[in-house]
Amino acid sequence: MGALSEFRLMRPASAADAVRLRGEFPASRFIAGGTDLLPNMRRGLVGTEVLIDLGGVGELAEMRHELCHNRDTLRIGAGVTLATLAADATVVSSLPALAQAALAVAGPTHRRAATLGGNLCLDTRCQYYNQSEDWRRGNDFCMKRSGNICRVAPKSNRCYAAFSGDVAPALIALGAEVELLGPQGLRRLPLADFYVDNGMNWLALGPDELLVAVTVPLVPARVSAYEKIRVRGAIDFPLAGVAVALRRDGDLIGELRIACTGVSSRPEFIAGLDELVGKPLDDAVLAVMERHLKRGIQPMETTLASVPYRRRATPALAKRLVRRLWDEARQGA
Amino acid sequence: MNAPERTLPRALPHTGQATGTSHGVGARMPLIDGVDKVTGSARYTADLPAQGALVGRILRSPWAHAEILAVDISAALALPGVRAVITGEECDTPYGVIPIAQNEFPLARGRIRYIGEPVAAVAAVDEATADAALALIRFDVRELPAYFEAADARKPDAVPLHDNKQGNIEREVHNEFGDTTAGFAAADLIREETFECAEVHHAMMEPNAALAAWDTERGHLTLWSVTQVPYYVHESLSRCMNLDAAYIRVIKPFVGGGFGHRVETLNFEIVCALLARAARGTVRLLQSREEAFLTHRGRPQTHIRMKLGLTRDGRMTACEAEVVQRGGAYGGYGLVTILYSGALLNGLYDLPAVKYDGYRVYTNTPPCGAMRGHGTVNVRFAFESLLDTMAAALGLDAFAVRRRNLLVAPTETINGLKVMSYGLPECLDWVEQASGWRERAARPRDDGPIRRGIGIACSHFVSGSAKPVHFTGQPHATIALRVDFDAAITILTGASDIGQGSSTIISQVVAEVLGVDQRRLRLIATDSALTPKDNGSYSSRVTFMVGNAAADAARNLKRVLVTAAAKRLQVAEHEVDWLGEAAAVVGDPARQIGFHEIVEEALVDTGMLTVKGTFTCPIEFQGGKQRGGAVGSTMGFSYAAQAVQVAVDTELGTVTVEKVWAAIDCGFAINPMSVEGQVQGAVWMGMGQALSEETVYENGRHKAVSLLDYRVPTMAESPEIDVHIVESMDPNGPFGAKEASEGPLAGVMPAIAAAIEDATGTRIRQLPFTPDRVFDALNRKPRPGAAAPPTVKGEA
Repeated sequence: MGALSEFRLMRPASAADAVRLRGEFPASRFIAGGTDLLPNMRRGLVGTEVLIDLGGVGELAEMRHELCHNRDTLRIGAGVTLATLAADATVVSSLPALAQAALAVAGPTHRRAATLGGNLCLDTRCQYYNQSEDWRRGNDFCMKRSGNICRVAPKSNRCYAAFSGDVAPALIALGAEVELLGPQGLRRLPLADFYVDNGMNWLALGPDELLVAVTVPLVPARVSAYEKIRVRGAIDFPLAGVAVALRRDGDLIGELRIACTGVSSRPEFIAGLDELVGKPLDDAVLAVMERHLKRGIQPMETTLASVPYRRRATPALAKRLVRRLWDEARQGA
Repeated sequence: MNAPERTLPRALPHTGQATGTSHGVGARMPLIDGVDKVTGSARYTADLPAQGALVGRILRSPWAHAEILAVDISAALALPGVRAVITGEECDTPYGVIPIAQNEFPLARGRIRYIGEPVAAVAAVDEATADAALALIRFDVRELPAYFEAADARKPDAVPLHDNKQGNIEREVHNEFGDTTAGFAAADLIREETFECAEVHHAMMEPNAALAAWDTERGHLTLWSVTQVPYYVHESLSRCMNLDAAYIRVIKPFVGGGFGHRVETLNFEIVCALLARAARGTVRLLQSREEAFLTHRGRPQTHIRMKLGLTRDGRMTACEAEVVQRGGAYGGYGLVTILYSGALLNGLYDLPAVKYDGYRVYTNTPPCGAMRGHGTVNVRFAFESLLDTMAAALGLDAFAVRRRNLLVAPTETINGLKVMSYGLPECLDWVEQASGWRERAARPRDDGPIRRGIGIACSHFVSGSAKPVHFTGQPHATIALRVDFDAAITILTGASDIGQGSSTIISQVVAEVLGVDQRRLRLIATDSALTPKDNGSYSSRVTFMVGNAAADAARNLKRVLVTAAAKRLQVAEHEVDWLGEAAAVVGDPARQIGFHEIVEEALVDTGMLTVKGTFTCPIEFQGGKQRGGAVGSTMGFSYAAQAVQVAVDTELGTVTVEKVWAAIDCGFAINPMSVEGQVQGAVWMGMGQALSEETVYENGRHKAVSLLDYRVPTMAESPEIDVHIVESMDPNGPFGAKEASEGPLAGVMPAIAAAIEDATGTRIRQLPFTPDRVFDALNRKPRPGAAAPPTVKGEA
């Protein structure tokens, strides 16, 4: 990797100041942990003249219970680190999918620096994009930066770089919302709507908006889990990741929510699973679930691992998690 | 860890009574430079102070195969802050580690042969200027057809990468030892299978770096580099710079691993020196991880067709192997690799007949070279895998079939390799017992998606190539010990400690022979201005050869000191009781003098003492008479056996290594702690090649050029590894020692393959066993029992 290019560093004390600076300097980027941004800058993937460091914004690091839509909710500041999330007692006990997802990111040193907001806004990834400037130049670049065509799907008019964050699918399965602060004030959005299936513009985030917090409902009797398919037990981004949230009404499904990552340009909330509510978890239900999953994911050649493998292993992982949670939910009941 | 319980041998005469606190041979002591490394005070090449040094950068080819028509560096030279711009014009002398196969230039001349090949270089006042200058260099080229697979490069109409090598065959080897026709005729079961091994890279921790200082006044060059072979680098610099070797000084600082990446001179080292001379100053050249992957020299992609004959009771009758290696764009160590692959089919078991056909092929990919277990690893994977499946077909146990074919030392193999010590039987015994092999059949089989299995394999490696690459007539190893007024003993060695612990081993040997404390010793290594030449750290030669030279030097010094002690004590030499840190009169311990007194006496009339020791492998150990017969020859083979327990996730295709039992016959463990570390490292590295590591080229462009995409195992994958040391006491090794670091690697892949088969019923013959490959293999497996057509004679 090359050296960092030159930039100015600004250090606002409040979220409002941060947003103001972002509006003032259009060629700026927010930086928190920097675990995604800095390597990308050193590879020439991100050119920016101004970095707005969010490390001094205390309100972003807060975590508290609050009532939201009349439900007990955990509000997590975007600046909370993944290490903190993975170890937090409430998260571990009530939102295990979130704790597991935070713990699945990179390695311990990264998790100490990396933040929730950074992981949710993680740049999309592709084997033709996450390379050095020399490498990409030798390959005539690609649509996502400096080039014209998508190396993964040369005939397409869009970029297929894959969203590869671990935390987003967990939070989507858990029904989280995001709080975005812009010059016009705060707006809320279901996390699933925060993403767009486009490798180049994958966030529904305005140019001068800042992700300030995530709110997650704490639903009694809901169990959840996140796992990803990876070659190594650390460091690796997901070849595919699956988050499941499930509630059991006796022997029937009370709620089943699944979200995947690494399988398209956004974390995918798997639609259509509502029809399974009220049914027992049997092979027929699992088959329906697998069908919905296969419809909902579209892995492309963005990683060195094969597409057919990722297509076939993702539902296998989902079924395993659902079965495990099904048993867990009964024991808990 | 199970340290060997033993009474330390005192093999050498004259050892006398060593002091009780001696850290001599057999001591379980941490590496002498370990604290420096873990506290960060050790300085690696990139850490060296380089105030005012220019920044060196290399421009690399985006073309896989092209003829250079014109180069324009004028704009780059004109850029303010640029001090030198060099191209292939700078050096017209090819280099290469094998004197008969030198076909590489530090910067491409005339022809470019792989993506990433250095084509120009710049020295400038800072990185940004250097980068800007690189962008201003213009190449006009004519692209040529490029070949990324051995099969494509071998096609009849393929353009040769090198004009003197038609068909792009760098080297082919054909030989037969024993009578394979008769051997196969005598076999009850003959099977032939093919194996594919992906190309792997060393992924040493420390990235490449060099620092070159050109002294304009004197016309002298000093180069600091990350090398394993400072002497070869010195020679290459002299050759490529057309500069008397006397005007060159090469220094190897701390090095963070090599594993073979650095056992030949690498282009960036020469480029850095050329830049320093061109810029008339000091140049620091730091390389990215990506550039290490492009410099490469790793284990080649290998296609193996192997045929083996066994009698009904498991006796090997004949073996036939065809090996094709995708060698990359230049010679490097290539011809040695292809020779090793054939030669070391022998030396592990008693194999009565072998026919070998090897092909090293030029392709438009980064050059391959030597890597831990050089040449032997992929072939061993094939052999052990085939042996297992055939044993199973014959209803034989994996241990039994191996025991049926053991050698008895001392002996000589059919291709002229001498086996002087052989601890493989004891390795097998321990692994069988420790792994609970015999009890495993009684255990209930798993019925969930996670299946467990266990597999075993054996392997071996040389303790130094008995014939050096460069024939000079000089000893194979030389060590000097210097003693002056301070009574410190300074060990001067050219042996490259690259993390494997050679400096520690040398210190232990010297401490043992002299009986002195470690604290009295100081070791200065790898500075051509100070230390004796050493061929370098490759082929696991250092402990054996330099260890023997160190023992020789210490004995020579001791002789001088005993003479001095006798003189001071006024007795005859045989009346001196040598106590290490002191000397006394035999039978009269009260008449005793200390080390300082002894040295004082020794320096009278002569001043500073420099005593030397050497070691040379006798000619009878240097291999068979056949062409290339020296490759594989050694004075001692290490032997290893290991069992591996894996868990296979049959739904996701992931393989987890849960436990490894590895036994090593290293002759004698000069430092058991270090031996264990080396064995664990070998197991771990083999596990990477088995499970996750592979280079990936798309149209010649390497896609896995980071440690994120080139998947070296992490701590999370590291299994518990029980190491057991077998001491066969080699008759020629220092104190009986042989190598311990390369031999244990090759068995890992076949043991894991066997364990996967044990767990799932599926044998995988393609490395690495990544989740997608395992998933595919499991989902197209034939029904158990219908695995192979019957080939046992008379039963068809």
